[in-house]
Amino acid sequence: MSCEEFWNQMPDSLVNHASECAACAGRLAREQRLTAKLRILSAELSDVSTPARVEANLLAAFRATHEIGSRTQTRWWRMPVVAWTAAGAMAAALILGVAVLPKRHVAPPATHHSASTQVELASFNNQETDDGFIRIPNTPQIDPNDDVNVVRMELPKSAMLAVGLNVSPEQVSDTVEAEVMLGSDGLARAVRFME
Amino acid sequence: MTIGQPTDDELLQRLRHGDEAAFLELYRRRQAAIYRFAMHVSGSVSTAEDIVQEVFMTLLRSDCGYNPERGTLSGYLFGIARKQALRHLERGRIDVNIEGDLEVAPLPQMAVDDDPLAELTHRETIESLRRAVAALPRRYREVVSLCDLEEVDYADAAAALGCPIGTVRSRLHRARALLLEKLNKERPKSGLGALTPVRCEI
Repeated sequence: MSCEEFWNQMPDSLVNHASECAACAGRLAREQRLTAKLRILSAELSDVSTPARVEANLLAAFRATHEIGSRTQTRWWRMPVVAWTAAGAMAAALILGVAVLPKRHVAPPATHHSASTQVELASFNNQETDDGFIRIPNTPQIDPNDDVNVVRMELPKSAMLAVGLNVSPEQVSDTVEAEVMLGSDGLARAVRFME
Repeated sequence: MTIGQPTDDELLQRLRHGDEAAFLELYRRRQAAIYRFAMHVSGSVSTAEDIVQEVFMTLLRSDCGYNPERGTLSGYLFGIARKQALRHLERGRIDVNIEGDLEVAPLPQMAVDDDPLAELTHRETIESLRRAVAALPRRYREVVSLCDLEEVDYADAAAALGCPIGTVRSRLHRARALLLEKLNKERPKSGLGALTPVRCEI
Protein backbone atom coordinates (compact mmCIF):
# COMPACT_ATOMS: atom_id res chain seq x y z
CA MET A 1 0.00 0.00 0.00
CA SER A 2 1.28 3.47 -0.88
CA CYS A 3 1.11 6.44 1.47
CA GLU A 4 -1.54 8.03 -0.73
CA GLU A 5 -3.73 4.93 -0.50
CA PHE A 6 -3.13 4.71 3.22
CA TRP A 7 -4.21 8.28 3.92
CA ASN A 8 -7.21 8.07 1.64
CA GLN A 9 -8.44 4.85 3.22
CA MET A 10 -7.71 5.82 6.77
CA PRO A 11 -8.54 4.51 9.29
CA ASP A 12 -9.28 1.08 7.76
CA SER A 13 -5.72 -0.11 7.31
CA LEU A 14 -4.06 2.33 9.60
CA VAL A 15 -2.25 -0.01 11.94
CA ASN A 16 -0.50 -2.08 9.29
CA HIS A 17 0.95 0.79 7.32
CA ALA A 18 1.89 2.96 10.30
CA SER A 19 3.91 0.09 11.72
CA GLU A 20 5.95 0.03 8.50
CA CYS A 21 6.44 3.76 7.95
CA ALA A 22 7.82 6.11 10.60
CA ALA A 23 6.87 9.23 8.63
CA CYS A 24 3.23 8.22 8.35
CA ALA A 25 3.15 7.01 11.95
CA GLY A 26 4.34 10.46 13.05
CA ARG A 27 1.87 12.17 10.82
CA LEU A 28 -0.90 9.97 12.09
CA ALA A 29 0.01 10.85 15.67
CA ARG A 30 -0.10 14.56 14.79
CA GLU A 31 -3.44 14.15 13.08
CA GLN A 32 -4.81 12.35 16.10
CA ARG A 33 -3.64 15.17 18.36
CA LEU A 34 -5.18 17.68 15.95
CA THR A 35 -8.44 15.74 15.91
CA ALA A 36 -8.49 15.71 19.70
CA LYS A 37 -8.03 19.50 19.73
CA LEU A 38 -10.77 19.86 17.12
CA ARG A 39 -13.06 17.88 19.44
CA ILE A 40 -12.28 20.38 22.21
CA LEU A 41 -13.05 23.25 19.86
CA SER A 42 -16.26 21.46 18.92
CA ALA A 43 -17.20 21.11 22.59
CA GLU A 44 -16.48 24.80 23.15
CA LEU A 45 -18.77 25.71 20.28
CA SER A 46 -21.52 23.33 21.33
CA ASP A 47 -23.45 26.10 23.09
CA VAL A 48 -23.56 28.20 19.94
CA SER A 49 -27.00 27.94 18.43
CA THR A 50 -29.44 29.89 16.31
CA PRO A 51 -30.94 32.98 17.98
CA ALA A 52 -34.43 32.43 19.41
CA ARG A 53 -36.00 34.84 16.91
CA VAL A 54 -35.37 32.34 14.12
CA GLU A 55 -37.45 29.73 15.93
CA ALA A 56 -40.19 32.33 16.46
CA ASN A 57 -40.14 33.27 12.76
CA LEU A 58 -40.24 29.65 11.66
CA LEU A 59 -43.01 28.79 14.06
CA ALA A 60 -45.01 31.71 12.75
CA ALA A 61 -44.38 30.60 9.19
CA PHE A 62 -45.42 27.05 10.09
CA ARG A 63 -48.62 28.34 11.67
CA ALA A 64 -49.29 30.65 8.75
CA THR A 65 -48.88 27.82 6.27
CA HIS A 66 -51.26 25.54 8.10
CA GLU A 67 -53.60 28.29 9.24
CA ILE A 68 -54.05 29.73 5.77
CA GLY A 69 -54.27 26.23 4.35
CA SER A 70 -56.98 25.15 6.76
CA ARG A 71 -58.85 28.43 6.52
CA THR A 72 -58.79 28.20 2.76
CA GLN A 73 -59.93 24.64 2.87
CA THR A 74 -62.93 25.58 4.96
CA ARG A 75 -63.68 28.44 2.66
CA TRP A 76 -63.23 26.36 -0.44
CA TRP A 77 -65.68 23.76 0.78
CA ARG A 78 -68.09 26.46 1.81
CA MET A 79 -68.07 28.25 -1.52
CA PRO A 80 -69.91 25.68 -3.63
CA VAL A 81 -72.62 25.61 -0.97
CA VAL A 82 -72.96 29.39 -1.24
CA ALA A 83 -72.97 29.15 -5.01
CA TRP A 84 -75.54 26.37 -5.04
CA THR A 85 -77.71 28.21 -2.56
CA ALA A 86 -77.55 31.35 -4.68
CA ALA A 87 -78.18 29.38 -7.85
CA GLY A 88 -81.08 27.59 -6.17
CA ALA A 89 -82.52 30.85 -4.95
CA MET A 90 -82.14 32.39 -8.38
CA ALA A 91 -83.69 29.37 -10.03
CA ALA A 92 -86.57 29.52 -7.60
CA ALA A 93 -86.96 33.23 -8.21
CA LEU A 94 -86.85 32.66 -11.94
CA ILE A 95 -89.50 29.95 -11.77
CA LEU A 96 -91.66 32.09 -9.50
CA GLY A 97 -91.11 35.09 -11.77
CA VAL A 98 -92.13 33.18 -14.84
CA ALA A 99 -95.08 31.52 -13.18
CA VAL A 100 -96.45 34.20 -10.89
CA LEU A 101 -95.07 37.66 -11.58
CA PRO A 102 -95.52 39.85 -14.62
CA LYS A 103 -92.65 39.65 -17.10
CA ARG A 104 -90.98 42.93 -16.00
CA HIS A 105 -90.42 41.47 -12.52
CA VAL A 106 -88.54 38.46 -13.71
CA ALA A 107 -85.41 38.01 -11.60
CA PRO A 108 -82.19 39.03 -13.35
CA PRO A 109 -80.43 36.22 -15.13
CA ALA A 110 -77.55 34.23 -13.71
CA THR A 111 -75.19 37.23 -13.65
CA HIS A 112 -76.65 38.10 -10.27
CA HIS A 113 -74.48 35.52 -8.55
CA SER A 114 -71.28 36.67 -10.16
CA ALA A 115 -72.13 40.26 -9.33
CA SER A 116 -72.46 39.40 -5.67
CA THR A 117 -69.15 37.57 -5.88
CA GLN A 118 -67.61 40.67 -7.43
CA VAL A 119 -68.87 42.75 -4.52
CA GLU A 120 -67.32 40.29 -2.14
CA LEU A 121 -64.04 40.33 -4.05
CA ALA A 122 -64.04 44.10 -4.18
CA SER A 123 -64.42 44.32 -0.44
CA PHE A 124 -61.38 42.07 -0.09
CA ASN A 125 -59.40 43.92 -2.71
CA ASN A 126 -59.97 47.20 -0.90
CA GLN A 127 -57.74 45.83 1.81
CA GLU A 128 -54.73 45.62 -0.49
CA THR A 129 -51.96 47.99 0.57
CA ASP A 130 -49.77 50.08 -1.72
CA ASP A 131 -47.02 47.48 -1.59
CA GLY A 132 -49.32 44.72 -2.76
CA PHE A 133 -49.99 43.05 0.58
CA ILE A 134 -53.54 41.87 1.09
CA ARG A 135 -54.80 41.85 4.62
CA ILE A 136 -55.92 38.42 5.78
CA PRO A 137 -59.61 38.63 6.70
CA ASN A 138 -60.58 38.55 10.38
CA THR A 139 -57.12 39.48 11.61
CA PRO A 140 -56.25 42.67 13.50
CA GLN A 141 -55.10 45.67 11.51
CA ILE A 142 -51.33 46.14 11.43
CA ASP A 143 -50.28 49.23 13.27
CA PRO A 144 -47.58 51.21 11.42
CA ASN A 145 -45.47 51.05 14.58
CA ASP A 146 -45.76 47.27 14.84
CA ASP A 147 -42.67 45.15 14.47
CA VAL A 148 -43.47 42.83 11.57
CA ASN A 149 -41.61 40.06 9.80
CA VAL A 150 -42.02 39.09 6.18
CA VAL A 151 -41.42 35.45 5.33
CA ARG A 152 -41.36 34.09 1.80
CA MET A 153 -42.99 30.69 1.37
CA GLU A 154 -44.90 28.49 -0.99
CA LEU A 155 -48.61 28.30 -0.32
CA PRO A 156 -51.33 26.23 -1.94
CA LYS A 157 -53.15 28.34 -4.51
CA SER A 158 -56.27 27.70 -2.50
CA ALA A 159 -54.83 30.26 -0.06
CA MET A 160 -55.60 32.92 -2.66
CA LEU A 161 -59.29 32.18 -2.17
CA ALA A 162 -58.96 33.02 1.51
CA VAL A 163 -58.11 36.61 0.63
CA GLY A 164 -60.76 36.87 -2.06
CA LEU A 165 -58.76 36.19 -5.19
CA ASN A 166 -60.07 34.06 -8.02
CA VAL A 167 -58.59 30.61 -8.50
CA SER A 168 -59.96 28.04 -10.89
CA PRO A 169 -60.86 24.72 -9.23
CA GLU A 170 -58.25 22.90 -11.34
CA GLN A 171 -55.47 25.06 -9.88
CA VAL A 172 -56.47 24.86 -6.25
CA SER A 173 -53.95 22.14 -5.47
CA ASP A 174 -51.05 23.98 -7.19
CA THR A 175 -48.65 26.07 -5.17
CA VAL A 176 -47.82 29.75 -5.43
CA GLU A 177 -44.92 31.72 -4.04
CA ALA A 178 -45.99 34.33 -1.53
CA GLU A 179 -44.69 36.68 1.11
CA VAL A 180 -46.52 36.49 4.41
CA MET A 181 -46.38 39.40 6.80
CA LEU A 182 -46.31 38.27 10.41
CA GLY A 183 -47.27 40.49 13.29
CA SER A 184 -45.22 40.81 16.46
CA ASP A 185 -47.31 37.99 17.95
CA GLY A 186 -46.13 35.72 15.14
CA LEU A 187 -49.56 35.47 13.50
CA ALA A 188 -50.08 36.07 9.80
CA ARG A 189 -51.57 39.48 9.03
CA ALA A 190 -51.21 39.98 5.30
CA VAL A 191 -50.04 38.16 2.24
CA ARG A 192 -48.55 39.19 -1.10
CA PHE A 193 -48.59 36.69 -3.93
CA MET A 194 -45.63 36.71 -6.27
CA GLU A 195 -47.63 35.74 -9.35
CA MET B 1 -31.13 10.78 19.67
CA THR B 2 -31.97 8.12 22.26
CA ILE B 3 -34.14 5.04 22.00
CA GLY B 4 -37.84 5.86 22.19
CA GLN B 5 -37.49 9.26 20.56
CA PRO B 6 -39.11 9.66 17.18
CA THR B 7 -36.74 9.60 14.22
CA ASP B 8 -36.22 12.64 12.04
CA ASP B 9 -38.28 11.00 9.30
CA GLU B 10 -41.17 10.37 11.68
CA LEU B 11 -41.08 13.99 12.81
CA LEU B 12 -41.04 15.11 9.19
CA GLN B 13 -44.13 13.03 8.44
CA ARG B 14 -45.91 14.50 11.43
CA LEU B 15 -45.01 18.08 10.60
CA ARG B 16 -46.31 17.54 7.07
CA HIS B 17 -49.69 16.89 8.70
CA GLY B 18 -49.51 20.13 10.64
CA ASP B 19 -48.03 18.82 13.89
CA GLU B 20 -46.38 21.91 15.36
CA ALA B 21 -44.72 19.99 18.20
CA ALA B 22 -43.03 17.71 15.66
CA PHE B 23 -41.74 20.72 13.74
CA LEU B 24 -40.35 22.26 16.92
CA GLU B 25 -38.72 19.01 18.01
CA LEU B 26 -37.05 18.54 14.66
CA TYR B 27 -35.93 22.16 14.58
CA ARG B 28 -34.50 22.05 18.09
CA ARG B 29 -32.75 18.77 17.37
CA ARG B 30 -30.98 19.98 14.23
CA GLN B 31 -30.74 23.77 14.25
CA ALA B 32 -27.57 24.25 16.27
CA ALA B 33 -25.34 22.01 14.17
CA ILE B 34 -26.69 23.52 10.95
CA TYR B 35 -26.18 27.02 12.33
CA ARG B 36 -22.55 26.33 13.28
CA PHE B 37 -21.88 24.65 9.95
CA ALA B 38 -23.41 27.60 8.10
CA MET B 39 -21.36 29.95 10.24
CA HIS B 40 -18.13 28.16 9.38
CA VAL B 41 -18.89 27.98 5.67
CA SER B 42 -20.27 31.50 5.26
CA GLY B 43 -18.01 33.16 7.83
CA SER B 44 -20.94 35.27 8.98
CA VAL B 45 -23.25 34.96 11.96
CA SER B 46 -26.11 36.87 10.34
CA THR B 47 -25.82 34.83 7.15
CA ALA B 48 -25.86 31.64 9.20
CA GLU B 49 -29.08 32.83 10.83
CA ASP B 50 -30.65 33.40 7.41
CA ILE B 51 -29.45 30.02 6.23
CA VAL B 52 -31.04 28.15 9.15
CA GLN B 53 -34.30 29.95 8.45
CA GLU B 54 -34.13 29.07 4.77
CA VAL B 55 -33.27 25.42 5.50
CA PHE B 56 -36.29 24.91 7.71
CA MET B 57 -38.55 26.95 5.43
CA THR B 58 -37.63 24.46 2.74
CA LEU B 59 -38.88 21.65 4.97
CA LEU B 60 -42.28 23.32 5.16
CA ARG B 61 -42.72 22.84 1.43
CA SER B 62 -44.40 19.62 0.45
CA ASP B 63 -42.07 19.28 -2.55
CA CYS B 64 -38.83 19.95 -0.66
CA GLY B 65 -37.09 17.16 -2.54
CA TYR B 66 -36.01 15.04 0.41
CA ASN B 67 -35.75 11.35 -0.44
CA PRO B 68 -34.98 8.99 2.49
CA GLU B 69 -33.56 6.45 0.03
CA ARG B 70 -30.77 8.83 -0.91
CA GLY B 71 -29.64 9.63 2.64
CA THR B 72 -30.69 10.82 6.06
CA LEU B 73 -32.67 13.96 6.75
CA SER B 74 -29.68 15.33 8.64
CA GLY B 75 -27.42 14.97 5.60
CA TYR B 76 -30.13 16.53 3.44
CA LEU B 77 -30.46 19.53 5.77
CA PHE B 78 -26.70 20.09 5.81
CA GLY B 79 -26.79 19.87 2.02
CA ILE B 80 -29.41 22.61 1.77
CA ALA B 81 -27.48 24.70 4.25
CA ARG B 82 -24.38 24.31 2.13
CA LYS B 83 -26.19 25.32 -1.06
CA GLN B 84 -27.66 28.34 0.65
CA ALA B 85 -24.24 29.28 2.02
CA LEU B 86 -22.72 29.04 -1.46
CA ARG B 87 -25.50 31.25 -2.81
CA HIS B 88 -24.78 33.82 -0.13
CA LEU B 89 -21.07 33.64 -0.87
CA GLU B 90 -21.66 34.08 -4.59
CA ARG B 91 -23.89 37.05 -3.95
CA GLY B 92 -21.43 38.67 -1.55
CA ARG B 93 -18.28 37.36 -3.21
CA ILE B 94 -16.91 36.81 0.27
CA ASP B 95 -15.01 33.68 -0.58
CA VAL B 96 -12.49 33.91 -3.39
CA ASN B 97 -10.49 30.79 -2.81
CA ILE B 98 -8.09 28.94 -4.98
CA GLU B 99 -9.76 25.61 -4.50
CA GLY B 100 -8.85 23.92 -7.72
CA ASP B 101 -5.15 24.44 -7.20
CA LEU B 102 -5.26 23.26 -3.65
CA GLU B 103 -7.11 20.08 -4.53
CA VAL B 104 -4.21 18.86 -6.67
CA ALA B 105 -1.35 20.52 -4.82
CA PRO B 106 1.11 18.21 -3.05
CA LEU B 107 0.61 17.71 0.66
CA PRO B 108 2.70 19.95 2.86
CA GLN B 109 5.86 18.28 4.05
CA MET B 110 6.29 18.15 7.78
CA ALA B 111 9.01 17.04 10.09
CA VAL B 112 8.43 13.84 12.02
CA ASP B 113 8.60 15.64 15.38
CA ASP B 114 6.98 18.80 14.12
CA ASP B 115 3.84 19.19 16.22
CA PRO B 116 2.60 22.78 16.17
CA LEU B 117 0.09 22.05 18.93
CA ALA B 118 2.66 20.84 21.40
CA GLU B 119 4.07 24.24 22.39
CA LEU B 120 0.80 26.10 22.75
CA THR B 121 -1.33 26.48 25.86
CA HIS B 122 -4.84 25.14 25.78
CA ARG B 123 -6.40 28.56 25.13
CA GLU B 124 -3.86 29.46 22.46
CA THR B 125 -4.41 26.13 20.80
CA ILE B 126 -8.15 26.54 20.58
CA GLU B 127 -7.91 30.12 19.35
CA SER B 128 -5.25 29.22 16.81
CA LEU B 129 -7.29 26.29 15.67
CA ARG B 130 -10.42 28.39 15.31
CA ARG B 131 -8.53 30.91 13.17
CA ALA B 132 -6.91 28.16 11.13
CA VAL B 133 -10.27 26.51 10.40
CA ALA B 134 -11.74 29.87 9.38
CA ALA B 135 -8.80 30.46 7.05
CA LEU B 136 -9.13 27.14 5.24
CA PRO B 137 -10.37 27.18 1.65
CA ARG B 138 -14.11 26.64 1.58
CA ARG B 139 -14.19 22.98 0.54
CA TYR B 140 -11.83 22.01 3.34
CA ARG B 141 -13.63 24.21 5.83
CA GLU B 142 -16.86 22.41 4.94
CA VAL B 143 -15.51 18.97 5.54
CA VAL B 144 -13.70 19.86 8.78
CA SER B 145 -16.79 21.58 10.06
CA LEU B 146 -19.00 18.61 9.21
CA CYS B 147 -16.79 15.67 10.18
CA ASP B 148 -14.54 17.05 12.91
CA LEU B 149 -16.59 19.77 14.53
CA GLU B 150 -20.13 18.45 14.09
CA GLU B 151 -19.10 14.78 14.05
CA VAL B 152 -21.33 14.01 11.09
CA ASP B 153 -20.56 10.55 9.70
CA TYR B 154 -18.88 10.20 6.31
CA ALA B 155 -22.05 9.03 4.56
CA ASP B 156 -24.04 12.07 5.67
CA ALA B 157 -21.13 14.36 4.90
CA ALA B 158 -20.93 12.86 1.41
CA ALA B 159 -24.67 13.44 0.91
CA ALA B 160 -24.37 17.02 2.14
CA LEU B 161 -21.35 17.80 -0.02
CA GLY B 162 -22.65 15.88 -3.04
CA CYS B 163 -19.53 13.77 -3.45
CA PRO B 164 -18.42 10.15 -2.82
CA ILE B 165 -17.29 9.05 0.64
CA GLY B 166 -13.73 8.59 -0.64
CA THR B 167 -13.64 12.26 -1.59
CA VAL B 168 -14.81 13.21 1.89
CA ARG B 169 -11.97 11.20 3.39
CA SER B 170 -9.30 12.60 1.11
CA ARG B 171 -10.54 16.17 1.58
CA LEU B 172 -10.59 15.67 5.31
CA HIS B 173 -7.08 14.35 5.27
CA ARG B 174 -5.88 17.27 3.18
CA ALA B 175 -7.79 19.71 5.35
CA ARG B 176 -6.06 18.38 8.47
CA ALA B 177 -2.70 18.63 6.76
CA LEU B 178 -3.45 22.23 5.82
CA LEU B 179 -4.54 22.97 9.37
CA LEU B 180 -1.29 21.59 10.74
CA GLU B 181 0.62 23.63 8.22
CA LYS B 182 -1.21 26.82 9.17
CA LEU B 183 -0.67 26.16 12.85
CA ASN B 184 2.96 25.42 12.20
CA LYS B 185 3.42 28.80 10.48
CA GLU B 186 1.64 30.57 13.30
CA ARG B 187 3.52 29.13 16.25
CA PRO B 188 6.26 31.18 17.89
CA LYS B 189 9.78 30.33 16.78
CA SER B 190 11.49 28.11 19.31
CA GLY B 191 15.19 27.70 19.80
CA LEU B 192 15.15 24.29 18.23
CA GLY B 193 16.08 25.54 14.81
CA ALA B 194 14.47 24.45 11.60
CA LEU B 195 13.02 20.98 11.56
CA THR B 196 13.82 18.89 8.55
CA PRO B 197 10.80 17.96 6.48
CA VAL B 198 10.47 14.28 5.70
CA ARG B 199 8.25 12.53 3.19
CA CYS B 200 7.14 8.95 3.20
CA GLU B 201 8.84 7.02 0.46
CA ILE B 202 6.78 3.84 0.50
